[in-house]
Amino acid sequence: MAHLSLTPTSKLISSGFVWLLWIVLGFSASHTHADTGLTVPQRVTLSPNWYTQELSISWLGGGATTFDLIILRTEFNETVFYETVSPTVNKVSGLHQWTWTSVNPLECTSLSVKIRSRDGHTTSEWSQTETLQGNDHPNSEQRVKVFPQDKVLPVGANITFCCILDEGMVLDKLKYDGNTTSVTRLSRRTYSTTVFNLVASRQSGSNMLCLPEDKEKLYGTVVFVGYPPLPIDFKCETHDLRSAVCQWGKGRDTHLYGSQRGTRYFVNNRDCSEVNQDVGQKEATCTFDTWEGNWTLVAKNLLGQYSLTDTAELSHRVCPVAPDLLSVVADAWNASLSWHWKYDSYSSLALVCQVEITATEDEKLIKRVFSGVGLRSVFLSDLYPDEHYSVKVRCGAQQNFWKWGNWSKLSSFKTKTYVPDTPDAWIWLNTDNTGKVVWKPLTRRQSHGKLTQYEVFLWSLEENRALAPAVTLPPNNWSMPVNLTEIAFFSNNGSVVAKVTARNNAGSSPPARVHLTSVEPLAAPRIVYTDQGFPLFWENNANATCGYVVEWLDAFCPQDCPVEWIKLPAGTTNVSIESATFQPGVRYNLSLYSCSSDARELLKRWQGYMQELVPSVALTLSASQQNADVLLTWKEIPLVNRRGFLLGYNIYNSTGYQFKLLENVSDPETMSYTAKDFAKGFIKGTFKFTVKAYTAAGENTGTTATVTIEPYTDWLILEILTSLGLVTLLLAIVTFTCYKKRKWVKKAFYPDIPEPKLPSDWPRTRGLLDVKPSPHSMVCVVETPEYDCIKDMLVAIPEEDEDDAGQGIGDESVDTDEPTSLRYYNQMVDERPIRPRFPDSSASSISSMSSAHTDVTYTGIQTSGSSLVLQLDPQGSSECHQPQLDRSVSSGGGGYRPQMQPRAPSDDMDLPSPESFLEPQAACSGGYKPQGSWQLDSPVDAAEMGSLAPSLGSPTSVASTQFLLPDGEENTGEKRQLSSSAASWLTNLLSSTKP
Amino acid sequence: MAEQEEQPIAGRSLTGQAVALARLLHHECTSLLRLYTERETFLSSYTPDGKRLVSASPESEEPSTEEQVHLLHSALRQCLGLLHRVIQKEEEEWGKLEDEYESMRKNVRARLEHLLYSTKGLVETDGTNLEVTPDNQCNEETDGSGGVFGFKLWTYQVLLELIHWSDHAAKTLHVLHTEREGAEEA
Repeated sequence: MAHLSLTPTSKLISSGFVWLLWIVLGFSASHTHADTGLTVPQRVTLSPNWYTQELSISWLGGGATTFDLIILRTEFNETVFYETVSPTVNKVSGLHQWTWTSVNPLECTSLSVKIRSRDGHTTSEWSQTETLQGNDHPNSEQRVKVFPQDKVLPVGANITFCCILDEGMVLDKLKYDGNTTSVTRLSRRTYSTTVFNLVASRQSGSNMLCLPEDKEKLYGTVVFVGYPPLPIDFKCETHDLRSAVCQWGKGRDTHLYGSQRGTRYFVNNRDCSEVNQDVGQKEATCTFDTWEGNWTLVAKNLLGQYSLTDTAELSHRVCPVAPDLLSVVADAWNASLSWHWKYDSYSSLALVCQVEITATEDEKLIKRVFSGVGLRSVFLSDLYPDEHYSVKVRCGAQQNFWKWGNWSKLSSFKTKTYVPDTPDAWIWLNTDNTGKVVWKPLTRRQSHGKLTQYEVFLWSLEENRALAPAVTLPPNNWSMPVNLTEIAFFSNNGSVVAKVTARNNAGSSPPARVHLTSVEPLAAPRIVYTDQGFPLFWENNANATCGYVVEWLDAFCPQDCPVEWIKLPAGTTNVSIESATFQPGVRYNLSLYSCSSDARELLKRWQGYMQELVPSVALTLSASQQNADVLLTWKEIPLVNRRGFLLGYNIYNSTGYQFKLLENVSDPETMSYTAKDFAKGFIKGTFKFTVKAYTAAGENTGTTATVTIEPYTDWLILEILTSLGLVTLLLAIVTFTCYKKRKWVKKAFYPDIPEPKLPSDWPRTRGLLDVKPSPHSMVCVVETPEYDCIKDMLVAIPEEDEDDAGQGIGDESVDTDEPTSLRYYNQMVDERPIRPRFPDSSASSISSMSSAHTDVTYTGIQTSGSSLVLQLDPQGSSECHQPQLDRSVSSGGGGYRPQMQPRAPSDDMDLPSPESFLEPQAACSGGYKPQGSWQLDSPVDAAEMGSLAPSLGSPTSVASTQFLLPDGEENTGEKRQLSSSAASWLTNLLSSTKP
Repeated sequence: MAEQEEQPIAGRSLTGQAVALARLLHHECTSLLRLYTERETFLSSYTPDGKRLVSASPESEEPSTEEQVHLLHSALRQCLGLLHRVIQKEEEEWGKLEDEYESMRKNVRARLEHLLYSTKGLVETDGTNLEVTPDNQCNEETDGSGGVFGFKLWTYQVLLELIHWSDHAAKTLHVLHTEREGAEEA
């Protein structure tokens, strides 16, 4: 607004102008709203529902269908709700109404409400503010400080609490069910908190506490969280055939109890709540005097309601009441039971009744069902004498059976006594015809009353009289000794039976008859125990008029054995014998007797074990050496210790670290074992033998015997002599064969060498052979300087050899100017025995020696061959060279190389081919290579010549027993000597055969 | 219990029996409060103001022992009235439930009734007639205006009142017992 500065006069004028302006503006504004037709809502009233937290707002006027509604917390002027709403309109009164539900209880703080009309974007003025006063107002004197009070909510709901503190108080915390919650301040004194997803509360509800800092103050409220009712199994029935009793289950626990919050039940609109308020009661009932046929159950609580219906005819829903006043009239074996009905209407009702009888003796329950119209008594048969029983009854409608009625009260009674059952008697005899008559104790069920005594008569069948007065025995005695020898004397060897009777207050039992006759034992085959016991089978015996008796006892029991038996009816042909007294490892004899009026007869007998075990004791074992054998002997295991059928023995030998099974002796009767030739091959030593007996259950621990083996030298000597004899015999056969076939041998191995044909002018006088190197007429000189190895060899090696030879042979007359090869040649032609010349020379010397040292006897020298070597130029002028790839090798392994022509021995006069020169191993490392036709297929073959095998089948010199192939081990002097001696032996042998 | 051991053991006289009964009542009231605070745990740390629910004003400034027993009898009737109201209200609120608290509550009520008969027998004369019925002075204002939560607080106060008056009964009756037994011996 503009600020004006005016004089007093002008002030008056201006003041009037301002007023006028305000009036105009006000009119203009009023005119504007009047133009829209929207009037301000009038007479706004607020109606709170404190429990539901709903605020009903009503007003008049406005002329619009929509209104803007704003709700604020008065104290803090905070907007709680601001929306355009369409209220309902009362056409008569024209009152608009809108209901708002508050999250917070309405008591928490004051709320202010304003309304204005709205038509599209046009609105009226706000109405006057209407305030709902909260309990935090200073003038409020309410005792309750926490809201809401005693609220009932369903499980899973949310709830907002608020707490209003007194003036000056400070809030400490809010706690729900012991847990501190987060707090929101609504006003100066009011605080709120919200709890989400509520769980079911306990019986006295869940506590919400408001705790100020002043510990003496405590505010709070209780909330009850639960479920709506959900009853089940709603059915109506009748007990008296007139009225109706409706029943139902309360179903799920609502967690809401008490007269205010608990579930109320209504059946056909009749309140049945009063009798069904107990918290722990699961079932509920409601009674009607008449049968209506249709019923509706409504269950209600503050959270909801649930309905169930039932429809039925009376005759289909009869549930009789429990029989009353039971009475029993009992006999020995049966009883008569009767009762009364509460309602006379049952007399025409067809009933079915269930009777439960329990014997006190064994708590065994007997259920029997009876039926009849108006049934009120039944006859109970098949009871036991002298027995205590309790009985109860319940009934149901026989037609359209609905359900059993309640059980009656128990009624007890006792049956009368009766004479005992016949004792089950048998006889056991020792081998000396003494024995005892035995019988099984009568059970309470068999005694039919308290037993007073047993009586035993010895009865002669022929004379039909008692041989002696009855023997009376107390009821705890179940046997009587007998002596068949004495009885036979008194009965004149007639048939005698023992009659055994039991007596109680009701009288004596029928007698049990036992024939006092001995039986001859039978062979007992083995029988195998099964899960059902010992399975026994036999053929029916026509004499067994009163059945069979199967008896069993410990097979090794010597005297007065505890015998067990079972009696079987006539016609039985098999039985499985099972007994609690059967023990593992005990052999049982099972005997089958026939029963007749005249005598007893042993029909069959078996032996078996319930479970076989390993023998319980070890053997008594001894061991001894017998020459090369070891004899083991042992003693039999006593029968009682076998604990199973003995199947044999396992014999083991242990040598300290080995435990070896020597033999399995499968014959249990065998008591010895001989380990044949066990001492052979052993010098001397201690050996252990273990013998273990075994049954089907396995071996026992065994017994070990130790034996010390003495060396058995006779056999060793015999063996050596035998071997020597065989070798001698073989040599004799070979010698003899060679002698017989000497011609063939000579021809094959030592053919005649043709005598050289000498010219007539050849001097025959023997003189010193003066051999000069032949002219090198047949030497081919190859101009290959690098292969000039021969020259080197002939120069270098012979000089060394010469030196060595000179040292080795001493005074032997040798022309030292001659090359080695010449000397060698001279030696070859010499017929004197060959002897080693260079026994320990160097490697190179050995190579030379291999030719010099060989035992080949060149009795006939092939001049053509020798000339090839001897044609070397001693002056080194010769142009013929051996191929030499490696000089060092050549000097190391070489030495003398006579006429080596590996590829074409027949062409020894020809020039050696270049390939032959290029054979590295054969040519340069070689040593002696006699003239042979042996051809090396390849350099590899040549390399493999170190082995002996390729030499087999090799051609030999006609004058030599040596193979003509190069020997790879020819550097090994010792081998050479051996072969040389063998060859000499053969040569001598053959020479001796020369004619 | 320790207190019981320190005091002389009452004989078989009526006063002695009354003393023993009062002590037993006190013990059971204590147990009842314990069971209640186990159910409403928030009460265990709550101490209400010292205002008594039950009061008995003596007519004279120095009442005799018999007059004190008269006053005690009156106070115990009020206690019984409060207890009846608690039982009735609790059954309304959360029904019947056979738990230890309810069982002890029944015991306390029966014991309190028995003590009322005892005190009546001790001090009633030919000229006086003492009632043993509950003196029900409480109403909706005292027990139910604060809602269920207020009722829980009020119940707690009633139980405290029971403990207080049963203890007071034991002491007063012991004095009476001492006086009477001493006079008889003299």
